[in-house]
Order: sequence, then C-alpha cells, then structure tokens
Amino acid sequence: MLEVLIFATLNGLVTGFLLFMLASGLTLIFSMMGVLNFAHASFYMLGAYAAYSLSLYFGFWTGLIFAPLIVGALGAVVERYGLRRVHQSGHVAELVFTFGLAFLIEEAVQFFWGRDTKNYQTPELLDFALFTLLGQEFSAYRGFMIAISIGIFIALYYVLTKSRVGIIIQAAITHPQTVANLGHNVPLIFMGVFGVGTALAGLAGVIAGPVLTTFPGMATVLGSIVFVIVVIGGLGSLAGAFIASLLIGLLQSYAIASDVGMPDLLNLLGVSFDRSHPLNDLWTISLPQIAPLLPFLLLVLVLIFRPTGLMGKREE
Amino acid sequence: MLLLKKSSIWIAFLIALVTLPQLFDSILAVSILNQMTIAIVFALSYNMLLGQGGMLSFGHAVYFGLGGFLSVHALLLIEYETMVFSILWIPLIGGLFGLLAGLFIGSFSTHKAGTVFAMISLGIGELIAASSLIFSSFFGGEAGISGDRTFGPLFFGIDFAQNLEIYYLAAFWVFLATLFMYLFTQTPAGRMANAVRDNPERAEFIGYSARRVRFISFCAAGMFAGIAGGLFALNYEFITEENLNAATSGRVLLMAYIGGLGYFIGPIIGAVVLTLMNSLLSNYSELWMLYLGIMFLLTVMFLPRGFAGFIMMHQVAWVRGNMKMLIKPYTLTGVPAALFALCTIALIEMSHTEEEVFHFLGLELNTASSATWIITTVIAAAAFYAVRKSLHQLSEAWDTANAIPKEERA
Amino acid sequence: MSILSLKDVQKNFGETEIIRGLSLDVAAGEKHAIIGPNGAGKSTLFHLISGRYKVSSGSIKFKQEEIQNKPPYEIARLGLARSFQVTNIFPRMNVFENIRCALFWSKGYRYSFWHLLGRQSELNDEAMHVLEQIGLKDKALYPSGELGYAQQRALELGIAIASGAELIMLDEPVAGMSHSEAQSSVELIRKITEGKTLIMVEHDMNIVFDVADRISVLVYGEIIATDKPENIRANLKVQEAYLGEVITSA
Repeated sequence: MLEVLIFATLNGLVTGFLLFMLASGLTLIFSMMGVLNFAHASFYMLGAYAAYSLSLYFGFWTGLIFAPLIVGALGAVVERYGLRRVHQSGHVAELVFTFGLAFLIEEAVQFFWGRDTKNYQTPELLDFALFTLLGQEFSAYRGFMIAISIGIFIALYYVLTKSRVGIIIQAAITHPQTVANLGHNVPLIFMGVFGVGTALAGLAGVIAGPVLTTFPGMATVLGSIVFVIVVIGGLGSLAGAFIASLLIGLLQSYAIASDVGMPDLLNLLGVSFDRSHPLNDLWTISLPQIAPLLPFLLLVLVLIFRPTGLMGKREE
Repeated sequence: MLLLKKSSIWIAFLIALVTLPQLFDSILAVSILNQMTIAIVFALSYNMLLGQGGMLSFGHAVYFGLGGFLSVHALLLIEYETMVFSILWIPLIGGLFGLLAGLFIGSFSTHKAGTVFAMISLGIGELIAASSLIFSSFFGGEAGISGDRTFGPLFFGIDFAQNLEIYYLAAFWVFLATLFMYLFTQTPAGRMANAVRDNPERAEFIGYSARRVRFISFCAAGMFAGIAGGLFALNYEFITEENLNAATSGRVLLMAYIGGLGYFIGPIIGAVVLTLMNSLLSNYSELWMLYLGIMFLLTVMFLPRGFAGFIMMHQVAWVRGNMKMLIKPYTLTGVPAALFALCTIALIEMSHTEEEVFHFLGLELNTASSATWIITTVIAAAAFYAVRKSLHQLSEAWDTANAIPKEERA
Repeated sequence: MSILSLKDVQKNFGETEIIRGLSLDVAAGEKHAIIGPNGAGKSTLFHLISGRYKVSSGSIKFKQEEIQNKPPYEIARLGLARSFQVTNIFPRMNVFENIRCALFWSKGYRYSFWHLLGRQSELNDEAMHVLEQIGLKDKALYPSGELGYAQQRALELGIAIASGAELIMLDEPVAGMSHSEAQSSVELIRKITEGKTLIMVEHDMNIVFDVADRISVLVYGEIIATDKPENIRANLKVQEAYLGEVITSA
C-alpha cells in the first residue's frame, strides 16, 4: 500500500514538473501580453519533432539546444506577421487566431513528418538509474526533467519579478504608450516575449518527446490539460501554474493508482445493483477510469466558483 | 414592398432547397446536399453564440452530439416498438435534448463572456467527450451506436430508406430551423443578445441582466445544434464520440468564421463552401485539411468578417454604382493571386506525392525533373511580386469607389 | 418629498476610503448638480447609486425602496437611468437599434423571443421620436460606432433618457465638446428632463449654475455643502475648498 503511494507520488511529480514546463511558457505569454495561446501545445509538438530531426544527425544534445531556438524564432515570426495584426480586434479574435494556428500546425506536422510515431529516444548519457527504490529504478532522465523544470521556474520567477526587463514588460501591458514614450520598442518586446514563450514550449517538447512519444496527436493530448493548469492556477500567475501543474500531475497519478470505485462505495453503503441495470456503467465506474476527466471537472468547478483561479488577480 | 423583398429571399431559399437534388441527382450529390443541410443548421446555431451573442465556444459539438445520440436512441426505441411515431419527428427529439443540455450547462456557464466562457466551454466539451467513452452502454464506446430509420409508421407511404427521401425530410426541418433562427434575431431577446455582445455593462443599465440574455441565446443555440444532431442521426443512422468532441466543435467554429460571423447569411455560406470543399477536394488531395487551416488563418487575419463580410464591404460601392471601377483593379490583383495560390498548391502537392507524374489541372508535371520545380517556383514568385505591386492601385481604386462626395458629408 | 435619499454611504477600495459617510436627499423634480475637484469621488458616487459598485456601508433609497444591494438592471427597471462619462454605446448596432434596445424594458418586452420587432409600430415610433429629440433622426441607420464625437454623446444621452426614467443621472454630459455643441446639449438636456429629476456631474460651472436648482459640493468623499446656486457661490467654505478663482473669473 505504502509502496503504491510512493510510486504514485513520484510519477505524479514527474508528470507535474513536465506539465509545468509547458505551462510556464503559456503563463509567460499570458501575463505579459494578455494573449491566451491556444497553439501553445502545438509549439511543444514542433519542439519535439524538430529535436527528433536534429537528433538523427547531431544527437540529442544539439536538439536540446537548437530545437527550442528554432521554435522560438518561428513563434516570433508568428507574432510579428500574424498575431500583431489580429491584436487590435480584441482577445476573442486572438484566441480564434491561435486556435486556427493549432489546427494548421497539426496539419503541417503531418505534412512534413508524416502520420506515424517517431522513434525519438532519450540520450544514452542519461540512460542509467539515478536510484533504486523498493526494487524500482528511477531513471536519470526523469531526474533531468525535474531539474530543468525547476530551473525554468526559478529563472522565470527571477526575470518576472526582480529584473528590469520584467518590470518594463509588465508596464508595457498596461501602459504601452508611456513605455513607448520612454524609448522602449513595445512591439519588439511583445515579439520577444512570444518568442521566448514558444521557445519554452519547444523545450518542453524536446524533453517530453522521448518519454510521451512523438506523434501528430501529442499536441491534442496535452493541449487542453495545459489550459486547465493555467486557468486553475490563475491566469498569468507563475506560482499558481507551478502549484496547479503538480496538483494535476498528482491527482491523475493517484486516481490511476487507486483501486477504488463505485462498487466499493456501494458495498460500504450496503446497496447492490443488478449487472443488467441500465445505469450499470455508473454503478461499476472506478476511479482509474475517470482519471482523465478529473482535470476538466476541476477546471469547470474552478471557473464557476473562483474564476480568478488559485492565485490569479487579473479579471478577464 | 419591403415585406415582399424579404419574403422573396425565403421563397428563393425554399426553391433552392427543393430543386437542388433535382439538378444534382447523383448519389454523391444527394449525399453532399444532406451534409450541407446539416452543416447549415449547425453553423447557424453556432452563430447565435459567437456572431450574435459574443460567446466564443470551443464545445458546441456537445449539443449537436447529445441531440444525435438521443435521436439514435429514439430510432432504436422505434425499432423495438417501445414507442411508435414517425421518424419525421426525430429532429425535434434532438432539439429537445440539445435544449435541455443548454438549460443545464448554460445555467452556470453564461455568467461571463470572453475568455472565461471560452474556457468553460472547452472544459465541458472535453468532460462530456471523455465521459461518453466511459459510459459505453449509452454512448457505445469508440464504435458509437447505430440505428435504422426505416422502422416506424410510414409517412404517406414513404419509409425514408432512400437518401433523397431523407434529404426532403431534412430540407423541411432546415427551412423551419433557419426561419426560426432568423426570426429570433428580430425579437427583443435577439436584439439584446447583440447589445450584450457589444457592451454587456451598458445593457445592464437599460434593465437587462447580461447573464440572462446570454442564457437565452445559449439555450436556443443548444436547441438548434440538437436539431442538427438529429438530422445527422437520421442521415447516417449512427453516431459516435467523434460527433461531440473538440474536433467537431472546432469545425463548426471554422465554418461559421470563414462564412462570416455577425451576418445571418455568413454561416450558411461557410457551411456550403466547407462541405463542398470537404467532399470534393478530399477526393483529390490528402492535404485539404492543410489548405483549410491556411484558409482559416488568412480569413482571421485579412477578412475578420468572413466571406459574407467581404461581400457586404461592397455595399457602398454598389449603391453608388461604382462597382465598374473595381473590376479592373480586382482582375489585376486577383489573377496573379490565384496563380500564386495554384503554384503554391502545386509545389506542396508535388513534394507530397510519390508518383513521378503529377496530374494537376490537366497538366502533367514531372516531379523528378528539377525544371518543373524551378519553373513553378519562378511563376509563384513572379505572381507574388505582381500581387504586391498591384495592391497599391487596388487600394486607390477602392478609396475612389467608396468616396463620399463632399455635398453628402455632414 | 425626496425621490433619492442616501444615508451614511461609505465606499472603500481595500484600505482607501473613497466615499466617507455621505448623506444626500434629492427631491422629486429637482435639477441637482454635483461638483467637486478631480478625485473627489463624483463618478464613484454615480456608480454606487446606479448599482455598478456595492456600498461598503450605509443605505440608498430610491422611491422609498432600498437599492444599495441591487444589481444595475433592477435599479434601472425601477426608473433610474444614467449616462457615462466615457461614451458607452452599442458600437456595432445602428443608431436606431441603440435607442430601441433602451426602450424594450420600459415598454414591457422583457426577454421576449416571440414579439417580432418589425410589427411593434408603437415601439418603433417611440424610438424615432427619441431620435428626433436628440437630433439623430437622419442618422437612424448609421452604425453608431462610426458617429462623430458630439453625435455619440447625443446618442449616449438618448440611451439614458429613452426609457422615460423618473430619475436621470448624467456624468459630465458636455465634456470634450466645443462651446456651441455644449450650448445645444444643454438645451437638449433641459428639454428632455422637463418634469423629471436630474442629477448631473459637470465641470463647466456656467452650465452648472445655469441648469441646477441645487448644487452639492463633494470634496474628498464628503459633501461639504448642499444649497441653491447663489448660496453656493457665496459659501466661504466652498470657495476655500474648491471654487475660489472659478467664481470670480466666471
């Protein structure tokens, strides 16, 4: 029992840290530009694919460095020639634009790389067990993922709250005119922010690609979850996103590892149902089965009862 | 006079619905027409949300799908003679359950518009799509559920086995649904939906709860989406999880947006064009979804009001009789633009195909020879340059055609 | 008989007190102006009365009914209409529709989805009548978002008065207008508020003294004086706190 709990916690933490890598870029873009980037997970997918292609020729580590740069540059181009044009039509138009972008990127990935799953592997260098716990190995790669994720958190936190750049950027959202008058190039700042945000998504893709498999559906798999995280954490709050990522990771992991379900509950209550009852599905449902539902359930509940999320301040 | 002008559009719509399957009577054509009618109702219902009411939804397929599932269950009940009624009424069952789902979900999701609403709709869409895979005795799991529309009492001797018969049944409901959706825009609730879209705050100061106004539009949109789902169930006789998931929700957004939000005719144009493209282009190219994606992004960027908006842009020039002034500049820009698009498509297709000879618009392009590639690229580049060069004269012509004479300015 | 009565109204935003225990009575049919320096809390006061903000403490009664906890739409239904300092219209609808929407509730249409607007001739005539009053009849089908500034202000006013509310609150109705535009707006305001109660925030002292029966002076969230215009002019406390030069130079 304790064993199950420990492994569920470990798995949950790893998933959580991975989700945070993805959520960090989205949070950065939202907090700086007020844009909810629907295509964020698509940039994550591009990162994985770009790194895969690079790794074929130059190995994993080159991919780790250059794939996020490529994705970030692409993100900057998208901001400069697409998003900026739509910006004046308001947030709904931006959301629709990034939605279309997600659609397009998924098709483009299939065009360039095909529909099959890519054999993108973790580097040999990290192919050893970091430690062994109760007979199970914890691979060094997972440790590496956690380290990168924590590194991103600390670096972003510092940049956003302590550095001069962060202050200028924050001012640029609320008072673009004033900041421009102070001699700062506001459009360039926004382009940079979007580039960095998408590069972070690309980095998450490089790192998650080998673990979660690299295939054209990988953006769809995580796309909604990462939205759930930034909304639950409070749009634009980095700490909120961090907590929400771990929360969702652990929640799902525990739900999958748990072995309880409706039958146990009904037994406890002393109620029993016939197997042929029309609502049989409902009476036999188990927690692992509904694990994929939990994040969305949480999302809807949070939006109804606390639309600002756990740590959000910004209305709308 | 105005009444005559208005009703003449509806008569034309009715005539088109009735005569189209006579003009295009192949099996493929009737099947496309069936898809089209379903798409029209679905896209119009989406427009009630986003175009008229300002609510961006990423989960509108939920109401379509739920209406469809309940309709297939109704077909099954008819088949097992638990209930006896003509399948003519099936779309109403879809509509009823779409409405019930809208009443329930709208009761907590219409508090705000904008990003919050969009996120709730996304969450609920994912929630219901995932649940439908878990509750497989009702939703049939991945395979979905299927029924048979030929049971039930005959309707004037018709058993609806033929696609054409189903088409006329669908056409009847499509006409009614379209008419009622139009009439809704002409009521106080419909007008206030526009007002709340434009400025929810001010709407509250003239006596209306923005939430209540959105709720009414939301329920109506759910009902009409449910009717479309019922029509889908009748046409295909099966329905799966795919019909209520995020991909279907995304498609209806694309349809309504490309057609033109805010104009009543817009989603109809979008539904017709996209259904045609889907059915015809997908035969020729595996990549048509890629083109659709590009087309959608271009629309969002350059024609935020869609095709309908593009047409309506010409109202002023039309009224002033200045349309002639636009023909030449449009040709000068339009022809190279079309050429550029075609060359780009040819390049994309050639890089995708594995055959040595690629058939394109009656041309036989040799994909192995580098000459083909170079020539196509050069033409594309030249066409692009021509478009850029001609934009200046287009915008000048546009300004003169739309200029307001001095004496009218006041 | 007072139509609106505020008692010990307070409003805090976090630690900051914006309105500090304010009491005010406005009689039915009175034209009441509220003046005061920038940041005195005039707009906040308007938002409190019209329900956009909730009071921190105190009570507001409109026609003997407590309204301080009601949402804006319920207050509006009781017959209290207001305009905004920053133009606040329905920009994508045409001018006629803007006014017609403002008429729906008072004409009893509520959330109806069974009345076809084309057939409601009384409603449509009334909307045209309002357009005539505010001088926008020939712009009826014009998209309201594309009107010029003065015309948008006129429409703003039209939306506020269309419903025939008993109490009309105008927040700087002539701000940003040229002298002649302001003059004709004042004539318009006088005409359409005849027989009704008016509460107005305005910076232009000529207009205030011209229109108002009584004036309240708001300084730092408190009313330091409420009196007839000539007494306000003479009031030393007011001159000290705020008016001073304005009066002598006017």
